[in-house]
Order: sequence, then structure tokens, then C-alpha cells
Amino acid sequence: MSERQLAEAFVELADTLVDDFDLMDFLHQVTVRCARVLGVAAAGVLLTDQRGALRVAAASTEQTRLLELLQLQTDEGPCPECFHSGRAVAVADLSAAAERWPRFVTQARESGFASVHALPMRLRSDVIGALNLFGGQPGALDERTIQLGQALADVATIGLLQARAIRHHETLAEQLQTALNSRIIIEQAKGVIAERRQVDMDEAFELLRHTARRNNRQLSELARSIVDGSETRWLGEPAPTAYARAPIPLHRSDGGVG
Amino acid sequence: MRIWAQVGKQTMGAPATVGHVCAAAMAGVNVDGAGVTIMAGSTARDVLHASDRVAADLEEWQLTYGQGPCVDAFTRGGPVIAPDLRSSESLSRWPVFSPAALDSGARAVFALPLQIGAIRLGVLDLYRARPGAMSSYELADALAFADATAMMVIDDAAGLQPDTSELAWQRDDPTAHQVQVHQATGMIIAQLGASAEIAFARLRAYAYAHDRRLGDVARDVVERRLRFEPDSLRESMEQDEV
Repeated sequence: MSERQLAEAFVELADTLVDDFDLMDFLHQVTVRCARVLGVAAAGVLLTDQRGALRVAAASTEQTRLLELLQLQTDEGPCPECFHSGRAVAVADLSAAAERWPRFVTQARESGFASVHALPMRLRSDVIGALNLFGGQPGALDERTIQLGQALADVATIGLLQARAIRHHETLAEQLQTALNSRIIIEQAKGVIAERRQVDMDEAFELLRHTARRNNRQLSELARSIVDGSETRWLGEPAPTAYARAPIPLHRSDGGVG
Repeated sequence: MRIWAQVGKQTMGAPATVGHVCAAAMAGVNVDGAGVTIMAGSTARDVLHASDRVAADLEEWQLTYGQGPCVDAFTRGGPVIAPDLRSSESLSRWPVFSPAALDSGARAVFALPLQIGAIRLGVLDLYRARPGAMSSYELADALAFADATAMMVIDDAAGLQPDTSELAWQRDDPTAHQVQVHQATGMIIAQLGASAEIAFARLRAYAYAHDRRLGDVARDVVERRLRFEPDSLRESMEQDEV
């Protein structure tokens, strides 16, 4: 990663800290920048639900496998460990951590990841979440890359505070809950789009994001209008029913795996 | 698990109601009263439960004046915490509601939206006669009580009246917060041409009826092995390799 790329990443992120701030889009941007600038395969942000568990807030790609891997850390994995200790967790080689987090390691390796890092999102004495970085090759990130990752984790935290500053009455607890609920709205909207347009979930997210950008709308606000039915223009006709496609539902193997 | 165990203590074996959840919340998070208002859209409202006179007044004032923590929690989609209604912040934010609520005997109000993403059902209002914020533990439990209330309202809308003891494990289904549950809700919205509330209720009803975990049923929907049909109550299950 070059100094220039890095500077650009921070400038681009700072650019989004404006009036019409969209926290969900911002967190997505942070994870995308992480993957690019830190040279990792994928990145995700998990936030505390304040009931002792972490929930998915954003991911660099919306592939279901990555979201599942992130949400698995409600139970086990480097992020809960990082969240509870407040310290970075580095696993240079996932295959050596199978006993520590059996389910997480199995699923991460199946998804093609070989190493994982978790960096705390810290606000004064509180830890509010964790930034999760996945590498395709075994190996620990060097000290400098970890510092940059931590800087990006801090930027994600600033984003939460920024949203809070704009809605200036809110406490951080209120803001975290609102963010997690926005994430649910986005998942619901992805489902509507996936069904209406007959696309998969990552394509649905791209469509949602693209449309929000093109029309200069907030991601979560557009998602809400898709779910409540007030936004239908670009969604197309409802998909044909299963009966219309095949009178006798047959689902024979097409040779694909799973 | 803990939350439903606390609700169970209140029911004494009877089917659980929103009133039981409110009673459990009062004991669990150290508040003096609780009320639940259901809102359909931005205008129609219905006070589902009020534990006492003060709680009833709070719902009444917000309904009458169109302002208050409950109104804000609903429109914003996040909790609204007013630790002291006598503070200048509360008085300027809700200039009509705050004095009325203080007169009624409430000093701190905690309004927690009953919501699952875009599904907005209403608000759980908790009050204290003394000022003060909730501890982080109390807030965590209060949020869990709001979740429990939301599920109860959804199940009621779906015509489900589960006995708490038997179905407690399903209510506490750890898969309930998986992304697939919300994605499946979205797909069912499109399949049925229905609201998110109805889509989510149908998904839960299917899981109950087939004694399966919500997350597993949701996965079938997302992977297009199960779809919901608008014209009948039957869902069509595509069969695998018969």
C-alpha cells in the first residue's frame, strides 16, 4: 500500500463526514478501504448490541459467506475476544486456532481465509465493537499495517460519534441501537430486491447501494422505503411464482455443489 | 433466556401477555411503571398496556400532545432516554409533554421502540419517579424486554398464543438475529405483496408449526427452497431429490 493510497483513503472517508451523513454507507466504506489499503481479503465491522453480544454492522463485500462468518462471532472467534479484552487479537495461521474456536476456524477456512485479525473499536474506556480483517494467506500483519488498521477502526468509531453529533440529543447507546437496526433494514431490503429482481444477496446490496448513490439518497432511508413498499419504481414486476416457473416443483441436482 | 425466565415468574403458568412482560421489566430494570403503545402508521395508536395511573398518563400525554420520548423513539427507530424530565434539555425538547409528565409523577422516561428493522410496531415506555440514568446492565435488560414485547405483539398478530414454558426456547432462538432471517422477511414481503410485519409473522408461524428454528427456515427461503404463496396459507416446499 502506498502513502498516497492511504492519504486518499482518509481524505475520502473524511469527505463523507458531512451534513448528509449516512452511517451505514460510511461503515461499508471503511471496510472497503480496509481491504484495499491494508491488503487483506475482506473486512467487517461488528458492534456491541449492549446485551453482551456483537452484531454485524458492515462488511467489505456482502457475500453471504462473509456475513455468516462475521455473525458467527456472536458466540466465538477473535472479535468477541478482542471486544472483551479491549486488545487486538492476531492469528497468523488459522489452522493453529482450531481448538480455540472450532466453528469459526472451520467456516473461515472453508471461505478461503488463512489468517485473521481483530482490532478494538474503542471510545475512551468503552469498547463498542471490533474491526475484523481476514487474510487469504497465512501470516501476521506487520506492526505498521496494524497501526493503520487501528487508525481505520478509530475512523469507524468517529463515524458513530459523528452520526451522534448530528442527532445531538442521542447517547452512544441510542446511536448503537439505531445503527444495528439500520443494518436489519438493509438486510430486509436486500431480501425484497433479491426476490423482485431474482438476483442473489450481494447483487441486491450492490443495486441498493448504486441506486442510493445515483439518486443521492441515504442507504438506510432508501432501504426503509423499499421494505415499506413506498419505493417500487426500479424494482420491476413482482417475480413469477414457483408455479408459474414449474408446475411440478422439481429441484434435481444441476451438478453444482450445495 | 433470562428475560423469558423473568416473564415466566410473572405468569404463574397462565399464557404470557404484554402485561406480564411489563411486570417483569419493572422488577428487572428497577422502574416504577411500564406502558406499551402500538402505533400503526404515524397516527393510529392504541395503548396496549399501562401498569399504573402514571404510565397511563404518560401514554395519554404523548398521544394528546404528539411529543415525548415515545414519539421520538418511534419516528427515529432508536431508544430515547430522558434521565431527568426536569432538565432544561428535556423541557426544551418536549415543552408540553415534560411538565405534564412531571405533574403526573414521572421524573425519568426510557422509551424503547418495538422494532425489527423496518418493522415498527410501537414503543415500550418505562418510567421512574426519581431522576437518573439506567446502568448499562439495566439498559441491556430493558432492550431485551422491548425485544420480548415486540415478539409478543408480532405473534399475537399472527394468531399465535404460545405457552411460555414450552416455547421459551423458540422465543430465545439464538438464530433469530441471523441476517438470513431479515433477508427472508424481505423475500416474503415480495412473495406475498405483504407488509414486513405480516411477512415476519408468517415466517415465525411457519417455524412454530414445523417445530423448526427460525434461522433454518429463513435459510430455506433465502436459498429458494421454500416460498410463501399469497393465495393460500400453504407454503410450497420444493422437494429435494425425491
